[in-house]
This record gives sequence, C-alpha cells and structure tokens, in this order.
Amino acid sequence: MGYKITKKENLSAIDFFMEVEAPHVAKSWKPGQFVVLIVDEKGERVPMSVYYAEDGKIGMFIRRHGVTTFKLWYEKNVGDKILSVAGPLGKPIEVKHYGNVVFAADAVCAQAECYATLKAMKEAGNYTIAIHSFENRDNVYPERFLAKSVADEFYITTEDGSVGRKGHYLDVVKELIEQDKVDIVFAGGKLGSLKKLAELTGSYGIPTIVTVRQIMVDGTGMCGSCRILYDGEVKFVCRDGPMFDAHKVDWDDVIKRDARFVEQQNLARERYIAKLREKGVI
Amino acid sequence: MTRKKPKIIKERVPTPEVPVEERVKSFVEVNLGYDFASAVKEAERCIQCPPEYASCIKGCPVHINIPGFIGKLIEHRDDPKKAVKEALKVIWSDNTLPGVTGRVCPQEEQCEAPCVMGKVGDPINIGKLERFVADYARTHGIEEELLREFVSNGNDIKGKVAVVGSGPAGLTCAGELAKMGYKVTIFEALHKPGGVLVYGIPEFRLPKEILNKEIAKLRELGVEIKLDHIVGKTITLEELLEEYDAVFIGTGAGTPKLLNIPGILLDRIYSANEFLTRVNLMKAYEFPEYDTPITVGKKTIVIGAGNTAMDAARSALRLGSEVTIAYRRGREDMTARIEEIQHAEEEGVKFEFFLSPVEFIGDENGKIKAVKFEKMKPLEERDAKGKRKIVGTGEYVTLEADTVIIAIGLEPNKIISEEASSLKTNPDGTLVVDKNLMTSIPGVFAGGDAIRGEATVILAMGDGKKAAKSIDEYIRKKHLSA
Ligand SMILES: Cc1cc2nc3c(=O)[nH]c(=O)nc-3n(C[C@H](O)[C@H](O)[C@H](O)COP(=O)(O)OP(=O)(O)OC[C@H]3O[C@@H](n4cnc5c(N)ncnc54)[C@H](O)[C@@H]3O)c2cc1C
Ligand SMILES: Cc1cc2nc3c(=O)[nH]c(=O)nc-3n(C[C@H](O)[C@H](O)[C@H](O)COP(=O)(O)OP(=O)(O)OC[C@H]3O[C@@H](n4cnc5c(N)ncnc54)[C@H](O)[C@@H]3O)c2cc1C
Ligand code: FES
Repeated sequence: MGYKITKKENLSAIDFFMEVEAPHVAKSWKPGQFVVLIVDEKGERVPMSVYYAEDGKIGMFIRRHGVTTFKLWYEKNVGDKILSVAGPLGKPIEVKHYGNVVFAADAVCAQAECYATLKAMKEAGNYTIAIHSFENRDNVYPERFLAKSVADEFYITTEDGSVGRKGHYLDVVKELIEQDKVDIVFAGGKLGSLKKLAELTGSYGIPTIVTVRQIMVDGTGMCGSCRILYDGEVKFVCRDGPMFDAHKVDWDDVIKRDARFVEQQNLARERYIAKLREKGVI
Repeated sequence: MTRKKPKIIKERVPTPEVPVEERVKSFVEVNLGYDFASAVKEAERCIQCPPEYASCIKGCPVHINIPGFIGKLIEHRDDPKKAVKEALKVIWSDNTLPGVTGRVCPQEEQCEAPCVMGKVGDPINIGKLERFVADYARTHGIEEELLREFVSNGNDIKGKVAVVGSGPAGLTCAGELAKMGYKVTIFEALHKPGGVLVYGIPEFRLPKEILNKEIAKLRELGVEIKLDHIVGKTITLEELLEEYDAVFIGTGAGTPKLLNIPGILLDRIYSANEFLTRVNLMKAYEFPEYDTPITVGKKTIVIGAGNTAMDAARSALRLGSEVTIAYRRGREDMTARIEEIQHAEEEGVKFEFFLSPVEFIGDENGKIKAVKFEKMKPLEERDAKGKRKIVGTGEYVTLEADTVIIAIGLEPNKIISEEASSLKTNPDGTLVVDKNLMTSIPGVFAGGDAIRGEATVILAMGDGKKAAKSIDEYIRKKHLSA
C-alpha cells in the first residue's frame, strides 16, 4: 500500500519538488488536471497540481504551508511512501491554436502548471509566453524547473527586483497587452492577483482562464467544499474546474472561502513545529 | 419442528443502550444489541407465520425468510453456535450484509410494519435479531466457517469483472461474483472502501469494525480493491470493457444538492456530505491529532429531516454544539428511521417544523450568523409520495446560527456518464437499466443509488446481488457464443 517517493529536491526558501510513483494517474493525466494526496493514516486530503506525468511517475511543486506539506518535507524521503494519490481530477485545459498564449504564475501551484501547459500549447502551434513571479531572490526556483525551454518569450519577476524584472506578472501582462501581443492569458497562484488580473484583462477584453484554488475534501464532486459562484451559479471547482473564465468568478467570495480554516491550520502548524523542535529537527 | 404454541408476549425484549450523558460525548455505538439469551427470548415472541403468508417477508425489499431465520434461533436454543450458523445461512441466501442492514434498515416501514404481532403489541424486533445473528457470527468465527461452504469449489476462473464503487451495491456484487468463481476487481475513487457506509454513516450508528470485516471477507474471496481510481478520469469505462468481461457500476448518489438561495457561500455552511466526510472518513473530531479540520460553533441548524440530517445533527451535537433540525414539512413527514429520530431527541436535538430557508445571513467576516426562513403550512392535498403538500405563508422568522448543515438530498455523480457518452441517463442523472440491470452499453450493469437516486442500503445490496446473477448469465452466454 502506498505510493513511493522517487525524487525530492528543494526549489527555494519555501517550495520543494517531489516525484511520486503513481502509474494510474500518470497514464491519463493532462495539463490542467490535479491530484488529491494523503500523506499518512492521519492525513488530510489535499489537492496538488502536477508539474509533469511520465513513466508512471508524477512530479509536483509543493509549498511548505502547514502540517501536510511539512510532513512531506520533514518526514518523507526518497524511498518512503505516501498513503494515497488519487487522480487525475478536474477537467483538462483546452489545448488548441489560440495565437499568442501567456501563462502567468505567482505561487507554487501555477509555477508547476506553467511548463506542461505551455509545452502543449507550443505543440499546438501557439506563440508561448511564460511569466514566473516570485517575491524575492530566495524564493526563485532554479531555471531548469521553469518553463524556459517551451517558451518563446520568458520572464522572471521579483517584487524587489533582485532577480529578473522588478514587479509582478500583472505589470508584464499589461505591457504585453498594450503591445498587442496577447490573445489569451492562462494564470494561477495567489487569488488576490487573479482578481486583479481579471480586472486588468477584463478591461481590455482579453480571454483569461485561471486555476481557482479552493479548499477541497474528496476532489470528485461529492461534498461541495470547493464551491464557488460562477456567472451567478454554484459550481464545484474540483468537478467543473479547476480552470475557469476569470471574468465570471466572484473573486471576493473565493478569497473569503479560502480562509475558512485559517485558525485551525495555524494551530495545527504551531503544534507540528513544536514537535519538530522537541525532536531537534529544527 | 415440534414446539409449544408460543404465548403472546406483547412487549419487546429491550436492547440496552449507552446512557445519553455518556454517548453525547463520544462516537461509540449507541445501541448495544441482544446477547444470545435475550435474542432467543425475543425470537420466541414470533408466532412463526408460514413463509407463504408471512407479511414480514413481503415487507422486506429483498424478501429475507424472516420466520425461517428466527425459527432457527428457537429450534437450536440449546446450541448457540448452531442456532446462529443456521440462522445466518437463511439470511445469507437473500442478504449478505446483515450486520449493516440490521442496523440501518428502516425496519418500521418494511419488515416490522406488517408484522402480525404488531396488531396486539410490539412487532417482533426483526432488525435487532438480524443484527444479533450477524454480530454473533462475526465474533465467534461462524461467518468464516459458513463462507468456506458458500464458495464455489474448483479453481478455474469463469471470467473477469470490474466493479465500480465500493458501497453496499458494489461490495455485494463483488462478493457474489467471487463466490461464483469470477475474478473481481473493485475500482473506488476514495482512499477507503465502503461508500456511504464509511464516509456517511457515523461510528455511533455503524461501527467501522463491521465494515472492515466485510472488506476482509471480500479480500479472502480473492477480490482485488483498487483505491484512488476514479472511473471516467483515472480509467475510462471503455478501457475497463477492453480488459474485463463485464462491468458493474455502483457509484451511488454522492453529489449534494445545495440550496439556491443568497448566502450559500458563507463560511460554516456545510453540505451534510462535507460535514460527515470530514468527521467520519477523515476523523476531524480528533483534530489536531488527525490533520483534517472542522469548525462547529455553538448553535447549529441542520436543514432536512432524513437519515443524513439526523447523522449530521447528532455528529454536530457530539462536537459540542446545540443543534436544531429545521424541516419544511411536519413531524410525520420526516424520512429518517424512527430510531434515529428518537435517539436525536433523547440526545437533545431540537426540532422546528414548517420552516423553509430563504436566505443565509452572514457577518462581516463572511461567516454564517442567522438563517431566514419562510413559515410554511400544510394543505390537505398529498403529493405523489403521500406527503401533505405545503405552501408558503408569507411570514418569516430568523433563527440565529453559527453553523449550518444542508441535508436536503443527493443526486448521482456524473463523472462516468459525462465521459462515456453512450451511457444513457434519466433526467435526474440516474442510469437507465433494463430488468436485468444492464445499462444501455452491453456488458455494463448498474445498481444501487446510481440507478435509484437516494435509496437504501438494502436496495443497493439487493441490486448488487441481482446484477451478479445477470452478469453471470451474460458472461456464460458470451462464452457459449464465442
Ligand atoms: C487545484 C489546486 C491545486 C493546488 N496545487 C498546489 C501545488 O501545486 N502546490 C502546493 O503546494 N499547493 C497546492 N495547492 C494548495 C494545497 O492544497 C495546499 O498546499 C495544502 O492544502 C496545504 O496543506 P497544509 O496542511 O500543508 O497546510 P494548511 O494547514 O492547509 O495551511 C497552513 C497555512 O498555510 C497557509 N496556506 C494554506 N494554503 C495556502 C495556499 N494555497 N496559499 C497560500 N497559503 C496557504 C494558510 O495561511 C494556513 O494557515 C493547490 C490547491 C488546489 C485547490
Ligand atoms: C448520511 C447518510 C445516512 C444514511 N443512512 C441510511 C440508513 O440509515 N439506512 C439506509 O438504508 N440507508 C441510508 N442511507 C442511504 C444509503 O447509504 C445508500 O442508499 C447506499 O449507501 C447506496 O449504496 P451504493 O452502493 O449504491 O452507493 P454508495 O454507498 O454511495 O457508494 C458509492 C461508491 O462509489 C464511489 N464512486 C463514485 N463515483 C465513482 C467513480 N467514478 N469511480 C470510482 N468510484 C466511484 C464512491 O466514492 C462510493 O464509495 C444513508 C445515506 C447517507 C448519505
Ligand atoms: S472537493 Fe468535494 S466537491 Fe469538490
């Protein structure tokens, strides 16, 4: 029982890369789809984006957010197993010829999705533009993990300008739109940025498809934990998404629902950190 | 069989229950069931109607020979093991999950409703007797013994069957086929098998131990269970048909209906499925020892009055909240099992009738703080299900709540039917099947909530059994013509 970890590598001050054997998922995964994993018997079901799926394995980028991801980083090493990997879940991105395609990322899930999406888009004959945004130098990933090899144009931004351009993907997207270089924007990451992106591209009428992140349980459409209001209707992110037209999402509600368990998450994280200290791990 | 004509004993032999004060603090099972002596005593109340006339058999959706199994308890009263083994044999020919159905069937509407004894006193406690037979057999090695006798001898495998979903329908279908000599593989989306039995129905009503034993039995029969496999995503129906001789779909009705009223996105409004899955499957009641959180405030309103609503209400109570069930119809229209309603009332759950929610009201942080209801009133006219129709009165009341659980129903999950476009569905999302439970795709069968919408465990179990027979016939014919 369980799924073996085959690679693990730090990416930055906050994120890491992990590869897991999951042949059932790898066989049918397509860009845009995600998995739900459980670390151990006491674990939570958490959704994760997929960086790649090949040879029976899936790669993931993971942020050290809280208990689940701390367990993955501090307790699980190459050769160890995690309890469950279910997927692929959600609907794949529609890959076709759009023209100039931008993929913008400013948090771990989207950094993961950028490469595979643009690879598929390039193969479908699109001109591809990758924008990876990070807060600062410490958070920037090694370049081989980014989408450079599949991007016709490639940008890294940091808020303090320590690497790449100073600023955020929002600045780059705006510039590109003004140069008339954008037919469609795909994006994911921080919900606050996605809301601003929706406002920005909405004002120019540029189609914008983004990954909506919501707290999930099953990931198969049986609980409604991940519900959002989309064009005035209740939709389940896991079943009907996770990619949606950014202009039809009620962002304020999405952002509020993302914080549903903050108190509990913080409590569990503090408790876990105290345990790590006790054991002398940190 | 010679025995004295039984004296009429009007009252049931009671089953002990965990005292209210104790049980509201934990998830331990509430009803403790019979021991052998009290089971025999209750059995002896049965006047043993002949099976041709027995109204209890007619009332049972799968027509278990009820006087037959009760008779075995009476007949072998001096040899508990033999009594239970013989009784279980009778039950198993129609129902393979008596430990479950003895606990969760709405007996008062089925077998016990028409019981002749009910006309003079209490009907025979058929549910608790069924449960007793299953529990005694499970804890005394009798089940294993009988299982060995039931398995088809000879080791040539008759064919390969894929079963999708591991609820009562899927588990039963898999078990029956394995006993006939088929190689069965179950594909289950979640990380634990059992369907509603594992994620929905709480421990205090159905201890997980019973389900675990059922799963262990299946594994002994050679059934393989592939967890984390979502058919339609991980593997398609078409791919299954390439590899297997036949497929059974027992995917249930797992999608919650949510109220389409303002405020539905507020925090601390859960569907009963989300709430119960967090609590039962993920053990959120042991957070932070377990990683999955749940937040329950001081005042919970549960909307709905079926088994799901009772389970959610009693779980919320055990997590420390005051709980009110708000139902748009009247008391007599509640659809939950009587025992669950009684337990809920004993435990302090309050009931409000003729209230239909119209708006969820939130605070400045996006958390629910009250629910606005329209007061309803009943009409004389009845609907198709025999319930009194209701209409709004135009009067409103607002009840405070810091947690809301919506338990107004479930519908089939569409993952498979969306992917396999040749699989015909009804407008309500249930799968179309013929009288042999075959779907519109030859070789693909279905049963349980996937074809009925929200129904019951016993009906799902019955479908699983019937589909196994149809699948056997289908595969035999296929091999014959090949
Ligand atoms: C479709 C989808 C795809 C996802 N893809 C990825 C992915 O590729 N990599 C990844 O690491 N995560 C991804 N996530 C988020 C992932 O589910 C969370 O990382 C996970 O729940 C964290 O669990 P935890 O127990 O470690 O932290 P939690 O205990 O859940 O959270 C701990 C703390 O971290 C913070 N936090 C939690 N989640 C987030 C978040 N998403 N963003 C910022 N802060 C947060 C909160 O402030 C919280 O207090 C995805 C989510 C969805 C819905
Ligand atoms: C809270 C609650 C309480 C209840 N109480 C009672 C009661 O007291 N008495 C009673 O008789 N009935 C009760 N019911 C109803 C009863 O549980 C159901 O009628 C019964 O479980 C239906 O069985 P099933 O096998 O058809 O489906 P389910 O039990 O729903 O099982 C379906 C399984 O299929 C899996 N699945 C779904 N889609 C896929 C897919 N695409 N690929 C792989 N797997 C998939 C699901 O994860 C699930 O495990 C209750 C229901 C609920 C929700
Ligand atoms: S996570 Fe349960 S419905 Fe989406």
